[in-house]
Amino acid sequence: MIAGGTDLILRMRDRVLSPSLLIDLRALSLGNIVLGDDELCIGTSVSLSQVLENTDTQRLFPALVAACREFAGPPIRNRATLGGNIANASPAADLVPPLGAYDARVVLRSAGGERVLPLLEFFTGPGQSVIEPDEILTEIRLPLMPTLSAATFIKLGQRRSMAISQVNVTTRLSIHEENVVSEVRIVLGAVAPVPMRALAAEQIISGNALSDELLCSAAQKAAEEIMPISDVRASRSYRVEMTEVLVRRALFATRDELGRNATDG
Amino acid sequence: MAETQIAFNINGNQEQIAAEPNQTLLQLLRDELGLTGTKDGCSSGDCGACVVLLDGKPVNSCMVLALQAEGSSVTTIEGLAKDGELHPVQRTFGEAWAFQCGFCTPGMLISCYALLESNDNPTREEILRAIAGNFCRCTGYQGVVKAVQQAAAELRATNSSEGAPDE
Amino acid sequence: MSELAIVGQWAASPGAEEIVTGEARYCPDIRLPGMLCGKLLYSPHARARVKKLDVSKAREMDGVFAVLTHADVPGENSYLYAQPDQPLLVVDEVRFQGDAVAAVAARDARTADAALAAIDVEYEELPGVFDPLEAMQRDPDSVMTNQVYRSGDVAAAIASADVVIENTYRTQWAEHAFLETEGGVGLVDDDGGITVYSSCQAPHRDRMQIARALAMPESMVRVITPYIGGAFGAKDEAHVQIHAGLLAHAARRPVHLIRERRESILTHVKRHPFVVEYTTAATSEGKLLAVKARAIADAGPYTNSTHEVLNKFGEFIGGPYKVENIEVEKIGVRTNNPITGAFRGFGAPQAAFVYESQMDDLARQLGMDPLEIRLLNGVETGTKMYTGVVVREGTAMKASLNKAAEMIDWQSRDQLEREPASHLRRGWGVATILKGSGLGRGLSDHAGVMLEMHRDGSVVLHSAAADMGQGITTVMAQLAAERLGVDMASVRVVRADTSKSPDAGGTSASRQAMVSGNAVLEAADSIRNTLLKLAAGKTRIEMDRLDLKAGKLLVDGEPHELSVSDLAQRAGNWGYPLHAESLVHFEYPSDVPEVSYRYSQEVFQFCTQIAQVLVDCETGQVSVERMIAVHDAGKMINPGGVYGQIEGGVAQGIGYALTEELVVQEGHTLNPSLENYVIPMALDIPEIEMEVLEFPEPIGAPLGAKGIAESPIIPTAPAIRNAIYDAIGKPLYELPMTAERVLPIPDGN
Repeated sequence: MIAGGTDLILRMRDRVLSPSLLIDLRALSLGNIVLGDDELCIGTSVSLSQVLENTDTQRLFPALVAACREFAGPPIRNRATLGGNIANASPAADLVPPLGAYDARVVLRSAGGERVLPLLEFFTGPGQSVIEPDEILTEIRLPLMPTLSAATFIKLGQRRSMAISQVNVTTRLSIHEENVVSEVRIVLGAVAPVPMRALAAEQIISGNALSDELLCSAAQKAAEEIMPISDVRASRSYRVEMTEVLVRRALFATRDELGRNATDG
Repeated sequence: MAETQIAFNINGNQEQIAAEPNQTLLQLLRDELGLTGTKDGCSSGDCGACVVLLDGKPVNSCMVLALQAEGSSVTTIEGLAKDGELHPVQRTFGEAWAFQCGFCTPGMLISCYALLESNDNPTREEILRAIAGNFCRCTGYQGVVKAVQQAAAELRATNSSEGAPDE
Repeated sequence: MSELAIVGQWAASPGAEEIVTGEARYCPDIRLPGMLCGKLLYSPHARARVKKLDVSKAREMDGVFAVLTHADVPGENSYLYAQPDQPLLVVDEVRFQGDAVAAVAARDARTADAALAAIDVEYEELPGVFDPLEAMQRDPDSVMTNQVYRSGDVAAAIASADVVIENTYRTQWAEHAFLETEGGVGLVDDDGGITVYSSCQAPHRDRMQIARALAMPESMVRVITPYIGGAFGAKDEAHVQIHAGLLAHAARRPVHLIRERRESILTHVKRHPFVVEYTTAATSEGKLLAVKARAIADAGPYTNSTHEVLNKFGEFIGGPYKVENIEVEKIGVRTNNPITGAFRGFGAPQAAFVYESQMDDLARQLGMDPLEIRLLNGVETGTKMYTGVVVREGTAMKASLNKAAEMIDWQSRDQLEREPASHLRRGWGVATILKGSGLGRGLSDHAGVMLEMHRDGSVVLHSAAADMGQGITTVMAQLAAERLGVDMASVRVVRADTSKSPDAGGTSASRQAMVSGNAVLEAADSIRNTLLKLAAGKTRIEMDRLDLKAGKLLVDGEPHELSVSDLAQRAGNWGYPLHAESLVHFEYPSDVPEVSYRYSQEVFQFCTQIAQVLVDCETGQVSVERMIAVHDAGKMINPGGVYGQIEGGVAQGIGYALTEELVVQEGHTLNPSLENYVIPMALDIPEIEMEVLEFPEPIGAPLGAKGIAESPIIPTAPAIRNAIYDAIGKPLYELPMTAERVLPIPDGN
């Protein structure tokens, strides 16, 4: 299946893949962003530029938009799709953690029907997913967030454009009136075989009132949960160190934004 | 490998041509249509030398299969000048020394042209963002900023003297 | 002569319109009838014996027109830069990942790939040599060169010094990453000669090598350079153009051989990595007494330019400073790592990282301002360097330091917050360097041009000076136009063609503006004299009152009714040739005490750069907020080109400083792509604040112009290093200064 082709064509050129049949998904009208009553549906052929420019995504899912904004460069963004970034199943996929932090679900369709599952359950290993040979990804469904929510995306790369993440982090906090956390998501990329939630770190925060100490200790915990490798971009130990740094920064930024939204609202 | 006939608009002309399934748009442009202005710097979408407009948007043509251009309109560097007259940004690139060896220039110009089509007064930051996928090894990017801002000024002056375009 | 009308003015390059319309043709754009696709088969191993090489199946394939191995090379099976030790096609032993084993020419790329796959080759992997320091201990034969240069008495100076500092520095393999990969198009002429379109820096040297490989006389070989998409030194040596000629000769059809990017990164020369033990001895006032260096360069498998790079390194390792006592040991070690060769700066960037970092260490130890210690020790006009060279024009050394300091307001720089946030630290660093222009004393540094003015006043200039973007074409057109009194548009510069243009030598060592510039002036003056003589005859006015400018004859500075084209027509009617061929040599003054350093360069590019950086103390990332660059051009002929060279060079320097490195493991490059070899792009480079000084070179330079091609890349890395030191109190001794190397930040910062 080819949509934007920005990963697929590379692998075809390198002869890692030699498909005898290529199906262009553009013909399937999966290029829409539709806002419903309680969720936003993004077709998997929607390009990253479209996500960037769409006023609903900007308003409702700013961390996703932030991730799109820093992704590669304009010519790639005009072709690369959300579906492709997911289907490619790279552990460093920039768009998966923000989608995961917003509790995205993906729709898989086959001739026999469709199934819907949480995005983060889609991945089974580097480049591997639960998708069956007769299935395609058609849609990403993003539930609208509770009113008092904010999210932050931070990417660590070796340059400010055209960079593969050394580590990327997305945090989301949703709170009750009294500043008590009702929902927390800390989703990490490029630090494990698949994009992952730092569940133990989330546990530290969930149900509690936000404080500096809480956020710091969650960040430290997150760094203990990851399983990074060393590669040409970063060593294992740097990834561990940076996870703590980025999670901490992201959590603080998310909390600050909650404070701003509260005073604005 | 079976060829397929595709039809698309290239620089204002309708074209019908046979393409192979794993042929990229870049290869089609350069090898079949003789449009060698668009360059191959890496064949992997990393350098931007191959940038063309596909339905008005800059894309790396090495990352588009030729068959995917079916029904679309493509603009290459050869299509920027109209009736033998350079687009202002082509001229200001030369005046501002926004290039030296020139190999990155076609792709760079397309990205800049696309920016000017949607932004008549781009800031330095906006220009740098627009060319963040275009790699230049000879000259850096300051000359490009200067050239684009100069061209934008010229275009604003032309447009205001001609009156607002009809919608 | 009146004020300059064209030299020193912004002028679009003669090829600008071709470039911005996409009409400019580079090697990959050349299309000839019947053209075949050429490809090379490279070794998958860093070191191996070729046990078996059977190309018969490939040869028999339909659509395959030639398959070559070493046995099929008619003449010499070697490149010839300095030494002929690198084979065109491997005979028995592969010595690095980029050694070529076979060459094919086929009807198209797909068939060429199939032909390569059909080549039956078996290797026996051999243990490789990958660590130069270890190799030196284990096997003296791996030392390719070991030269020591001494001047004065270093031991005594060190013994008498108040301060002695010793550090070990390490630099990396760097990739040129020109946009146009290496390419060549070979074809057979009607009379059996060979023509090769070559993306190269030295067309005449290419011709020699192609003729040598084909066992043909040079008269039967022609090399033409189309537009060249960048080179930075890597295309000074031959790459695939000889193979293109060989394949065309064997196939009897044109052959197009263009490297793909990954291939290019794996196979072409890289900047030599150095390990340098460096000792500086000084007084407590900061006066340098002695410098001692032991430099070990990873020379890769073949000699290439290792001797020359080490030579330049040693020549400049004392910096632009008054140093009388020096000892520098220059060692090149053979390994099976990537091949090394010429890259802009040619040993000087490595040297500058060493001496300018050490200068800051010294300043810190003595509690001195980094600017003051440099001014204290800086060379001046008349200074005799340790090489014996006397600096004829040295004002720019201190002038560039002072100017750069003024531009960043050095004395008040601290008024900008050093700690804008709890995790951020700001710092400033300076580096001042020198680099020579020209091939060096003792070598013949010559170039020629052929210049002709036609009856209508239009001018043609033939030069074999390769323009790969650095702007020599524009400079030559400007000089010719200026002297002949015509506008730039009237001067047609024909790109290098060995059948038409005299030898101009290679485009390297920042030499072309100087040497080819002089060649243009000489040829232009010859034609100018003829025109002025004719004018004097016609107007009955003495020649010394006459001039040519803006297409007109000037009398006492005022335009006359006679135009340049009138004079040209007159010359044509009356049979006065307006044709000149020049061949000039750059001459070194002989009235100096004997210079003791081999091939010393004596025209100096002095320059200073100051970096302002912001360090993220938790991630180690360094952001360059401001970059000041002050360069002495002697005389700026082409401002657009000069500023472009400075900006581009500084951008390369930022990459060299912070992110660019080839990651090599057991001789294999792990990041052979523009994705993973990280070069700064538009959002990573600050606006570079530039100032060009003009202290004309008094001897031998055209209008005083020195050439500034290499200097921009040289001070950047040490300036950034010193700024990081200033920001976080941590001195770094290894390039690149990646985020991981910047961490951990020392306590108290």
